[in-house]
Amino acid sequence: MAFPLPRGITPSEISFLAEMETVTILPRQRLEGLELLGGPVEPLLPPRRASLPLWLALLLKRQRRANILPPPWLHPESLELILEIETKNDEYQHAFSPPPPLPGQPTPRDRRPPTTRPHYTPDGEKYYPAPPFLPQNTARDHIPPGEPPALPFHWLEVGTMLLEAASDDLVEPDQTRRLLKELREVRMAKIRSGVDVLDAAAMGGGGVALTGVGAMELGEGRRFIAGVVDGLRRIGASKEQARREEMAEEMANGGYDGTQDYEDGEMEF
Amino acid sequence: MDIDDILASVDRPDASTPESAALDHQLLTRFWVAERGVSELLPWPAALMERMMDRVRNQITQIEDLAASSTDPISMTTSTTNAATTNLTLSILQSDLSRTQYLIRSFLRQRLSKLTAHSMHYLLLISRQQPPSQSQDSQQQQQPEDSIPPPPNPHETNPTPLSAEEVSFLHAHQTLLAGHYGASFLGSFPQQLRRLDDNVGGVSMVQGPEEKEVVFVRCLGEEVRVVVPPGDGVERETLGTTMRMGDVWAVRWEGVRGAWGRGEVEVL
Amino acid sequence: MSYYDIDAILTDSQKLPCTFELEVPGLGILEGNPGENIKAGTRIDLPLWLGEMLSIGARLGTSRLVTLDLPSALSERVMNALKADPRTVELRSLAPHFYSLSERILELFEEEEMVEVLSNTFKKRSAEIADHAHNPQGALGQGADFLRGLDETERQLFRVAHDSAKETRIWAGEAKKK
Repeated sequence: MAFPLPRGITPSEISFLAEMETVTILPRQRLEGLELLGGPVEPLLPPRRASLPLWLALLLKRQRRANILPPPWLHPESLELILEIETKNDEYQHAFSPPPPLPGQPTPRDRRPPTTRPHYTPDGEKYYPAPPFLPQNTARDHIPPGEPPALPFHWLEVGTMLLEAASDDLVEPDQTRRLLKELREVRMAKIRSGVDVLDAAAMGGGGVALTGVGAMELGEGRRFIAGVVDGLRRIGASKEQARREEMAEEMANGGYDGTQDYEDGEMEF
Repeated sequence: MDIDDILASVDRPDASTPESAALDHQLLTRFWVAERGVSELLPWPAALMERMMDRVRNQITQIEDLAASSTDPISMTTSTTNAATTNLTLSILQSDLSRTQYLIRSFLRQRLSKLTAHSMHYLLLISRQQPPSQSQDSQQQQQPEDSIPPPPNPHETNPTPLSAEEVSFLHAHQTLLAGHYGASFLGSFPQQLRRLDDNVGGVSMVQGPEEKEVVFVRCLGEEVRVVVPPGDGVERETLGTTMRMGDVWAVRWEGVRGAWGRGEVEVL
Repeated sequence: MSYYDIDAILTDSQKLPCTFELEVPGLGILEGNPGENIKAGTRIDLPLWLGEMLSIGARLGTSRLVTLDLPSALSERVMNALKADPRTVELRSLAPHFYSLSERILELFEEEEMVEVLSNTFKKRSAEIADHAHNPQGALGQGADFLRGLDETERQLFRVAHDSAKETRIWAGEAKKK
């Protein structure tokens, strides 16, 4: 029984995942609330807005039973601003623009600890919600001043699907399409030129930060990045082993304090 | 509905509420992405899968009931607009069911492909909890099948990453394969060359998944250290780079496996 | 090294220079002189797996049969060329499994600098591979020469990068499924 897919979710699976993002709709007809395997769906009572998974919103939209209210980031003004951060800001010359924070995540400016506590699953394990199960693509009437626009994890998929099925609900769809394409090109170039810092992920205990990367971008780059890191790890295997043996010796002689085992490989694309 | 409300309501675990359906759906989705992303077989989420399969069964019954009532001549007196709404509801329920079935099917198939790719590795892993059987040590090894470790006792609690069904699948699969090898070519080899778990020449025939392979993770806890497992003479686990909440990193799977088990990182 | 990995087997059949330290009766067949002896000091290219086995005496404390040298694919001349410009060297003509061979050689020889040169080479060439793979015209453009010189590891990398880019374009509706 062969399983034909490579390791790591593929573009169509990433798209499937993005369809689980919650969006806001304006229903054009009534419908009772439903209990789906994916969770409860609230009743549709026009003209009240409702939040639904994207796949369901698209199903209703295609049958002209609802309009979709686009998320604030999918607006030419927001996209222009993000594009400017991606291209003009020195800090993000090799990194992606910062993503929307997780619930309770402290901003880099305030050094306070996160305010969130984990939830627990029915099996008693810790659970922190993350995309596609956060309201990163819902419409918002009020955006707190000073909150910069940010691309959510599934930006490219949600943007592309809304442009395809609900362009009449978007502000300036052509302009939006052009900006999405531009963003995609700018950011893919960052992934390609990021090869230079990948050795940080090739050593044990190391890693390379890709914070802000989108799901589809990761899908496009993952096998290449993994291949380069794998190659670098093999080339450096003998050196890594020698270093580990030295460390073992130091430990045996008590000359190793064990506080910081590796130089902090805080590398960024 | 706000995600926090959903989650807060399941802080006291009750698997029968609609909110817990949402949480289980999120857990299954996250587990599927992880299983698709890492090289080794992840521990079988027995309780979660049991709840999911119960819900799928119930949902199928619901859909069947609704479909039956919509074509029932007695209830056909309802207006046409009502019939249209029922059809819409049905198509929504069907889509939702297909999506869940896709998740489960892809998850199971990915697991089977890992099991068959490293069948001897996982057979040894699950039999390691067992005392070695007599035939293992005897010199009477004659057929490729003799290299297959015996399956664990089904009555014992299952400490392996495999479900009971996967254990019996794997054993049957490898027995068939070994029999096929024996009949088609290994049978004509000298007896000592018929094994499938040989270690002669320093190269083992039994290959496990590469745990040093790189994975992509998002840090969910406040701060998570990448680790280096013991090895190469270093006896204890050592610490590496620090990841912070919301960060996405490319790191070795073995360096974050523990944090993944604690729910502090998710595989992307 | 992986038991069922065909590339690992092919890597181990790549040759490297071995010098016999002792006279070995009857082994002349390695030199193309069946029945003759091999004299001490004879230098022949042997497959990696054989050379490694014959050189193992040193590790066991007995006098060794042969000493190994770096294969020409990893000679100082090649290292210098790679330091000058990694992108212009045709790795494939040096050794089809250039990096896998290096990995095996680095297990046998302590060559810290070689690790640096090869890591840097692999990174520079990988970046170039990514650029070519992203280009929908693929190998048809002026990159054909570079791509012809890729070793097996790099070809594999080119393939995954090309396939990923293509799958994404298909998803985005910019390309058709074949």
